[in-house]
Amino acid sequence: MSRDGVVVGLIWLILTVAGEALAWNVEFFPSAAADQAIIIDESFAMLVRLAIPVMAFVIAMLVYSALRFRHRGDPLEDGPPTQANKKVMGAWFGVTTALTVLMIINPGITGLNELWELADEPVDMVIEIEGSRFFWRAGYSEYGFSTFSGNPTDELVLPIGAHVRFDITSVDVLHSFWIPAFRMKIDAVPGMTTVVHVRATELGDYRDDINFRVQCAELCGVLHGQMTMPVRVVTQLEFEAWVTTKQ
Amino acid sequence: MAALSAFKAIGRGLLGAAIGLAIGWGLALLLGAAIPADDATIRKPQVIIAVGYLFALIGWLLGVGLWSGWAREWLRLPTMELTETDWRRYFRFSLDHKVIGLQYLVTFVVLMLLAGVLALVVRVELATPGEDILGADGFNTVMGLHGIMMIAVAVATITGGLANYLVPLMIGAEDVAFPRVNALSYWIVPPVAILLILTPFFGGFDTGWTAYPPLSVVNANGQLLFLLAFLTFGLSSIFGGLNFTTTILKLRAPGMTLMRMPIFVWSVLGASLIAVTATQFVAFGLLMVILDRVVGTSFFDASKGGDPLLYEHIFWFYSHPAVYVMILPGFGIELEVISHFSRKPLFGYKYVVGSILAIVFLSMIVWAHHLFTSGMQDFLLIPFMATTEVISIPTGVIFLAALATMWRGRLRLTTAMLFAIGVVFNFLIGGVTGIFLADVPTDIHLQENYFTVAHFHYTIMGGEIFMIMAGLYYWFPKITGRMFSETLGKLHFVTMFVFFQLTFLPMFWVGMQGMNRRVADYNVEFGDLNQIISIMSYLLGASFIFMVINMVRAWFGGERAVGNPWGARTLEWQTTSPPPVENFDAPPEVTGDPYGYGTPEAPAHSSPATGTVGN
Repeated sequence: MSRDGVVVGLIWLILTVAGEALAWNVEFFPSAAADQAIIIDESFAMLVRLAIPVMAFVIAMLVYSALRFRHRGDPLEDGPPTQANKKVMGAWFGVTTALTVLMIINPGITGLNELWELADEPVDMVIEIEGSRFFWRAGYSEYGFSTFSGNPTDELVLPIGAHVRFDITSVDVLHSFWIPAFRMKIDAVPGMTTVVHVRATELGDYRDDINFRVQCAELCGVLHGQMTMPVRVVTQLEFEAWVTTKQ
Repeated sequence: MAALSAFKAIGRGLLGAAIGLAIGWGLALLLGAAIPADDATIRKPQVIIAVGYLFALIGWLLGVGLWSGWAREWLRLPTMELTETDWRRYFRFSLDHKVIGLQYLVTFVVLMLLAGVLALVVRVELATPGEDILGADGFNTVMGLHGIMMIAVAVATITGGLANYLVPLMIGAEDVAFPRVNALSYWIVPPVAILLILTPFFGGFDTGWTAYPPLSVVNANGQLLFLLAFLTFGLSSIFGGLNFTTTILKLRAPGMTLMRMPIFVWSVLGASLIAVTATQFVAFGLLMVILDRVVGTSFFDASKGGDPLLYEHIFWFYSHPAVYVMILPGFGIELEVISHFSRKPLFGYKYVVGSILAIVFLSMIVWAHHLFTSGMQDFLLIPFMATTEVISIPTGVIFLAALATMWRGRLRLTTAMLFAIGVVFNFLIGGVTGIFLADVPTDIHLQENYFTVAHFHYTIMGGEIFMIMAGLYYWFPKITGRMFSETLGKLHFVTMFVFFQLTFLPMFWVGMQGMNRRVADYNVEFGDLNQIISIMSYLLGASFIFMVINMVRAWFGGERAVGNPWGARTLEWQTTSPPPVENFDAPPEVTGDPYGYGTPEAPAHSSPATGTVGN
C-alpha cells in the first residue's frame, strides 16, 4: 500500500465516522405522527447510513488528489500511463453492485412491504377525499357528513390509533393528497380512486405544528400553494364529541 | 449596407412567417365554421393559433433558407451558394457545422442567462412568505418558463452547440453527415423561443414544464403556445440526433476506429441514440394534448373514457431518457477535461464506453419512477425502483474513471479543470440524493417537495451546467481563436461553486421539513431559510458576470490562441484555432489513441499542417 493510499484511507475513515456520528444525531424530519411515517423515516436513515461511506470515499479521493497531485512545473509533463486492470474494475463493480442490491432490498423492498402490511390490517374507518380546484372535501360517510376546506373552520379530524383509509379522487385536474406529518402522499386523479392508509400514533394539531395539514402536491393551477386543509389527530373520545357537533 | 445584408435571410424568414400566418389564419377561419357554436368560444382561437403557427413555421423555414438553400436544388433551379466568410454568415442559413455550432452556442448561452434571470425573479417572489411581486398566476408562468427554457438549454447547449462544433473536428471529418438538416435543426429554434416569450400575452401557462393534463387541456391559451413550442423543439432534437449518429458512425477519418474515439464523441453518440429513439414519445404525448384542446378529442378526459395517467407515462418515457441526453455528453466533457489536465490516459476507457451504452439502455426502462405517487398499479413500484437504482452501477464506473484518472496525475488546475472537479462533487450529491427519490418509501414523502427541486438542480445545474462551463472554457480558445483570463475564470468558478452550494443545500432541508415545490406562497415557518436561499441565489446569479466579462473581453480583444494551447492529444487540437473551413489543411490520419499520455513512443494523431502533437 502506498503512502497516498494510506492517507486517503485515513481521511475516508475519519469522514465516514464523523458523518455517521452526525447522521445519528440529526433529526431529519419533523415529528413522525403515524406508523407509516416511522417506516419512511427509518428508510431515510438507512439510506443516509449507506450513503455516507460512499460520499466520504469520493470526497476524500477528490480533495486529496486536487491538493496532492497539483502540478506547477512543466505543463506538458505527463503522469504515469496507468490503465484500468481487471482487479480494480472487478472490485469496484462488485462493491457498487452489492450496495445497489442491498439498497433495493433494504430499505426499498423491505420498507415498501412494511407499508403494504400496514395497509392490509383491518380498516377502522374510511374517509373519502375529493380534490377540486382549490379545495379538499373530507367525507365521513359512515357518520353522514363531510368537511370542506373552503369553510374557514372546517378541518380533517382523525382519531389516534385508528387505521384510516383515505379514498381519494378529484373532480377536475390532478391534485396530490399529502400530509407531511404522516409522510404519506398519493395523487388525486379524476376518474379513479387512489388510497392512502394511515394509523396516527401522535396527537397533533395544525395550530401547533404546520405538518398537520393536507397539502396539494401536484401543480393544479393558480392557487395550488393555498390548497391546504388543517389536520387534527385527537383521542377517540374527542373524535366522537367532534362527530356529534358535525352531525 | 453590407451590415444590413447580413439580416436578409432573417428578413425573408419573417416575411415568410407573416405570409404563412395569414394563410393559416384564413384556413383556420374556414375550418372554424365547422365548430359547434357551444364550443366555438374556446376552440376557435385555438384552431387559429395551431393552424396559423403551423403555416407560419413553414413560411419562416422556407424564407430563412429552406427555399434558397435546399428546395431550389430539388426543382433544378440554380442554387445560391453562401460565399461570405465574415461575421455575416452567422446570421444566415449556413451549412458549416462550425457556424451552426456557434449559432447554437451563442443562442443557448443567452437563453441560459435569460432563464437564469427568471430563476432570480422566482427567488425574489419566494424570499418571503406570501405573494410579493408576481401573484400566483404570474409565478406559475415565470416558474414554468424558467423550467422549459433551462430544459432546452440543457438539451441543446452541448448536443447542438459544442458537439456540432467539435464532433466533426474530433473524428477528423470535414462536416456533419447532413449539413442542411443540421442548419434546419438550428433555424427551428427561433420560433420556439418566440412562442415561449409570447406565452404570457396569451394568459400564460400554469402547469410547469411537465404540462400534465387535464389541467393543460383546460387552461389559458398560453398553454397551447407552450405545447407547440415544446413539440417543435423536439423536432430539432430528433434532427440533431439523426445527424450525429450518422456522422459518428460514417464520417470518421482513416484510422479513427470506434475505440479510438474521444470519450466526448462516444457520449454524444449515446445522447443521439436516445434523442432519435425516445423524443417521438413526448412529441406524441404533446400532440395528444394539443388535439384534446384544439380538436376536442378526449385522450386524457376521464369523463369521456380518457386517462390522465396515460400522459404521465408517455411524457416520462421520453423525459427521463432526456436527462441523459443532457448529462451523458456532460460526462464526456468532464472526463475529456480531467484526462487532458491530469495528463494521464482516461482510466477504464472501454468500461466507460460500456457504461455509456448501458445508461442509454437503462434510461429507457426507468421512467415510472416519476409516477410512484401517481396512483399507478402497486406491482410496478418494485421493478421501477430496481431499474432506477441499477443505473448507479454504470454511473459509478464514470465516477471511478474521473477519480482514478486524477490519481497521481500531473494536475493543472485550470478553469476548465476546476469546473470538471466541481462536477464530481456536485453530481455526487445529485446522484446520492437521487437514490432517496428512487427508493419508493422515502419518495412517497419527498416527491414533489423541495428535496426534489434541490436534487435535480444538483444534477442538471451542479452537474450539467458546470460541465457546460468546463467545456466552454476548455474549447473557448479553439472556437474563438482567443485566450481568456484564467484569473477571471477561476473567480467565476469559485463564486459559482460556493453560492451554488449555499443556494441548493438548504433546499434539501426545507423539503424534508415539509415545503412543497411549485408554490408562490408558503408557511411562515419556512421563511428564514427561504430568505437565505434567495440571497445566495442572487450571488449565484452574479457569479455569471465574471463569465460574461471574461468571454466578451477575450473574444474581442484576447490574446491569439495557438492551435493547441493545452497540449492535448485529441484531434481537434491538431489544427489551427479557429480551424479552417475544411477543418484540417490535409485530411488527418489517426494512428494512436487520444489519451496516450505518459508513453512517449505512443503513435499519435498526425496532421501535416501542425506538426507534432503536444506543442
